[in-house]
Amino acid sequence: MPTEELMAQETVAPWMAAPPVYDNESNLPDWYQKFREESWKRFVNTADPKRTDENWRFADLKKSKFSELLPAAQVEDEAALIDRSEKSRLTDCAAHYVFANNRLIDSDANGLPEGAICLPFGEAIEKHGDLVREHFMKEDRSLGGDKFAALHGSAALSGLFVYFPKGVVCEKPIQVHHYVGGNQQVIFPHTLVVAEDNAQVSVIDMFETIAEEEQTLVIGVVDLVAKNGANLQYVALQDESDHGARHVQINSTRAGRDARTKSAFINLGASWIRNESINRMLEEGADCQIFSANLANGVQEYDQRTLQTHEAQHTTSDLLFKNALYDEARTIFSGLIQVQPGAHHTDSFQTCRNMLGSDKAEANAMPGLEIDADQVKCSHGSTSGQISDEEIFYLQARGIPAEQARQMISLGFLNESISRLGGEELKEFLFRRVEKKFANLL
Amino acid sequence: MSDSLKIENLHASVEGNEILKGLTLEIPKGEVHAIMGPNGSGKSTLSKVLAGNEEYDVSEGTVKMDGVDLLDLEVDERSREGFFLAFQYPHEIPGVSNANFLRAALQARLPKGEEIDAVAFYKTMYEKMDALQMDRKFTGRSVNDGFSGGEKKRNEILQMMMLEPKYAVLDETDSGLDIDALKIVAEGVNRMRGPERGFLVITHYQRLLDYIVPDVVHVMVDGQIVKSGGKELAHELEEKGYDWVTEELAVA
Amino acid sequence: MPDSATLEAVNIDQDEGNFSYPEEYAHDAGYGLNEDTIDFISNVKGEADWIREFRKKALKIFESKPMPTHWASEDLENIKFDDIRYYLAKGQRPTRSWDEVPDDVKQTFERLGIPEKERKYLAGVEAQFDSEAAYSNVKEELEKQGVIFVNSTEGLREYPDVFRKWFGKVIPTGDNKFSALNSAVFSGGSFIYVPPGVKVAHPLQAYFRINAENFGQFERTLIVVDEGAEVTYMEGCTAPKFETATLHSAVVELVAMKDAKIQYITVQNWSNNVFNLVTKRGMAHENAEIRWIDCNIGSRLTMKYPGVIMKGRKARGEVISIALANDGQHQDTGAKMIHAADETTSNIVAKSISVGEGRSTYRGQVHIPKNLKGCKNNTECDALLINSNSRTDTYPAITVRGNQHATQHEASVSQVSEDQIFYMQQRGLSEGEAMSLSVNGFVNDLVREFPMEYSVELKRLIDMEMEGSVG
Repeated sequence: MPTEELMAQETVAPWMAAPPVYDNESNLPDWYQKFREESWKRFVNTADPKRTDENWRFADLKKSKFSELLPAAQVEDEAALIDRSEKSRLTDCAAHYVFANNRLIDSDANGLPEGAICLPFGEAIEKHGDLVREHFMKEDRSLGGDKFAALHGSAALSGLFVYFPKGVVCEKPIQVHHYVGGNQQVIFPHTLVVAEDNAQVSVIDMFETIAEEEQTLVIGVVDLVAKNGANLQYVALQDESDHGARHVQINSTRAGRDARTKSAFINLGASWIRNESINRMLEEGADCQIFSANLANGVQEYDQRTLQTHEAQHTTSDLLFKNALYDEARTIFSGLIQVQPGAHHTDSFQTCRNMLGSDKAEANAMPGLEIDADQVKCSHGSTSGQISDEEIFYLQARGIPAEQARQMISLGFLNESISRLGGEELKEFLFRRVEKKFANLL
Repeated sequence: MSDSLKIENLHASVEGNEILKGLTLEIPKGEVHAIMGPNGSGKSTLSKVLAGNEEYDVSEGTVKMDGVDLLDLEVDERSREGFFLAFQYPHEIPGVSNANFLRAALQARLPKGEEIDAVAFYKTMYEKMDALQMDRKFTGRSVNDGFSGGEKKRNEILQMMMLEPKYAVLDETDSGLDIDALKIVAEGVNRMRGPERGFLVITHYQRLLDYIVPDVVHVMVDGQIVKSGGKELAHELEEKGYDWVTEELAVA
Repeated sequence: MPDSATLEAVNIDQDEGNFSYPEEYAHDAGYGLNEDTIDFISNVKGEADWIREFRKKALKIFESKPMPTHWASEDLENIKFDDIRYYLAKGQRPTRSWDEVPDDVKQTFERLGIPEKERKYLAGVEAQFDSEAAYSNVKEELEKQGVIFVNSTEGLREYPDVFRKWFGKVIPTGDNKFSALNSAVFSGGSFIYVPPGVKVAHPLQAYFRINAENFGQFERTLIVVDEGAEVTYMEGCTAPKFETATLHSAVVELVAMKDAKIQYITVQNWSNNVFNLVTKRGMAHENAEIRWIDCNIGSRLTMKYPGVIMKGRKARGEVISIALANDGQHQDTGAKMIHAADETTSNIVAKSISVGEGRSTYRGQVHIPKNLKGCKNNTECDALLINSNSRTDTYPAITVRGNQHATQHEASVSQVSEDQIFYMQQRGLSEGEAMSLSVNGFVNDLVREFPMEYSVELKRLIDMEMEGSVG
């Protein structure tokens, strides 16, 4: 009884008064408009996360409370942002896009291979409606973020649609900047990547705030589809302001026969983040790898929930999440390996390691297994600890000062997940960003 | 009728594919027979069908062991009746020590209420292990768990020596063995030879038969015995290859 | 592989617990649960007012708490609280001599071998039949040393100064819905006190027997071991196989004072109709050690997560758990380790076996709060699957605050394949023996930790269970 009352209360005061309105709406097809309306209804009718929900165990629910959110308005000085994005542009990327408060403000797609489609969402829906519709928001968001996904569905129009037809291969990443700014303002970046048979594609989304001290919110959804034999890599680098920014990102990955996917979350900024990642291995030979490197300090809370679900025989997956925690930072890792009935000969691994660098930091780990098949090799491990004095001593004995030794070891610790990604420049780039935050920490 | 392991017109298939196509073979007690044949001729299938592996469907034929119909029995009943298979790929059984495993297997052969004599058991086991040059530490280790290829094969022979079967089938026991290990294994088998026991040695190479000298050599091609002869047949095969037999058959 | 004596025992004991005697009860609280039920129980027992009030408060909490199905099995919804009888007793007072125990009750325990075990290796025994103890005895020399071993009714009545202080303190009434239920209707169970420095060499044993259909057994156990003292306590449980569901919902509280040691061993063999929902927790003071050894075989659904609150510096907690889930069974077990002082260490080793369509679940919680130093936890969960329809789940939760601790968690899943069974059968073992050998091999390193008698008992139960699982 009390829970129903609670739900009723919450539905009276949704976080936002109405879904955003876009300039080019009249050009958009009916199916998309209908989808938006239904998503809005679902958002209004879905209860806020509750303490009794296993998917929100350990979470600080105050941080997932919202009110009076505003769809982000156009940024005044777009040119300055374009300049800023150039400074963190990969020299060797296939394409480069800059979004600011939901609007595309700059793009360069000269390096894309022939046949590849790479368009901002509004344009993609107009030009390739059927293709988008086939893959758009198809996944159930079962890890607790359904309300966020519903709100996103009612509003998503920024971000990229990336489609690589059969056999189209590009090793260079597509780089996308997402900027958000303005108090209580929220953006809804959407990334949909489809790699057809034997295609290869790599995408990096970067999330940053325009100014410090603003209460901003990002509600992003990323859907990755790797068809037979495809090779898909996706990285999200979140480096927003750690004062007021909050960030929700809900990912899904579908891997077909012999497809290989790698996806990664790198979290450095924001005051609160929630990452969800559903990885489905749908056909034989599918392999999903999921990585994360998180450096949390101050009162940052990083809440990550993952699912590796094996739906066919002879599929493999591997997850490696690393958290380095300082000050009063909190992390929550909840990961589930699910081996569905009949998914025999599965190899699935999951590791979460926490390095605690202060006596007030808190790491929570919930590594789970659900095994419903035969001939399965599954394991998970989780450790929490700190840098040992011996390690520091060893580096000191080689002439490195203690503080630097500490930093080197922590960086190395986080870099273990970054180093599992593909693309030398990309890995170096991510490593430098982590290093930069470390430098500010000390 | 004298005692023998007698296979007549045996047909067996796996997942609808017929592998054994009317195989006939008799191993009288006291003799060592060898089966040689090219890859895919059905040698290993024969050993598994004799042991009673349920993956294989027997559609026709009989197997009599000293008059007992083997095909009517469960896997473990065949074993207790005196049939032994030395596996080509012995399975690992984590957590179950060699000593416990052998004890359990021997205990299963005793009438109800009768208890195995632990002291005598260890004494016998150590003797046989010494003969096979196996370290006594193996008794406490899990069955085949983490054993090298050679250690696994020696362990198979140890089990055979302990269980003292009436008929033993050695399936590619030589594979993965260096020459020293091969000699040790062969020596173990030779010690077991005698009028009360029959052997069927399945091998791809003649090398093993230099050490376990067979009374009769059979050649198996495409699920049937196509040629039988004395031990010299093995050398002939080694020299001329299996194509020689197939060609000869084609001519005939 | 069972030796011949075990095989013989298996044949006799195939349905070891599966018998019952006609019901003749002097006190029957009837079906369903309300304040009258509680008055009935309190009146029969002649309880003090504070206990009656404690029970009534607990009833209200029980009624207000929802079923924990947001995380646990929905099978819980199938418990029909109105169809259960909450108190059944023959009006017996526990006797110190088996000769004085009513015949049918005595025969029950004789068939279960309790008097024989007592003679052989136990320091004291309590035998509970439905709601009340029928027999309770402790060796004279222990009594002289001041060891108290009585049932809960007697404990609260005769020794309030010893037990009231801790009663309901380790596990508060409102801990969960079933601890509240137990607090409302508890009856039976053991109250034990071991005075400072007394080391009880032989185990104390309790045996819990459900005889009646549609019955709920709610024993309450409290063990207080004073400074530097030591005790091993062992409980065994059985029930006949009825058509309808039976409920067993115990609360067990342990208190280990400074430097004390408690080892609590459970070997449970419930029949398939029993919902076994038990709350067990211990509180370890400075340098004390609490060790739960928990073997769960049988039952329809077991939910049990023994815990240790390490309250004093250098306290140690350990849970060693073995769960075997066969067809139609769900073993949802685990451990809870709450570190509340510096330099406390905890260890969890959980092994589960799922056979046929059985399902086993590990659920664990390790909590190291802020401002502590030098805490350690090690957790290992291993699951073994036998046959393709079984299922295993693992859901640990580990919270660590601060940089002065070390935790480590590892889990793995392995299985007995058809090929392995075939290999063993080729050496002459039956399918059941082969499975039994694998299972015993899998749990062997844990069983070695048990006192001899119990490892034999456990092995026998595993053999029985595996023999029975061969279709």
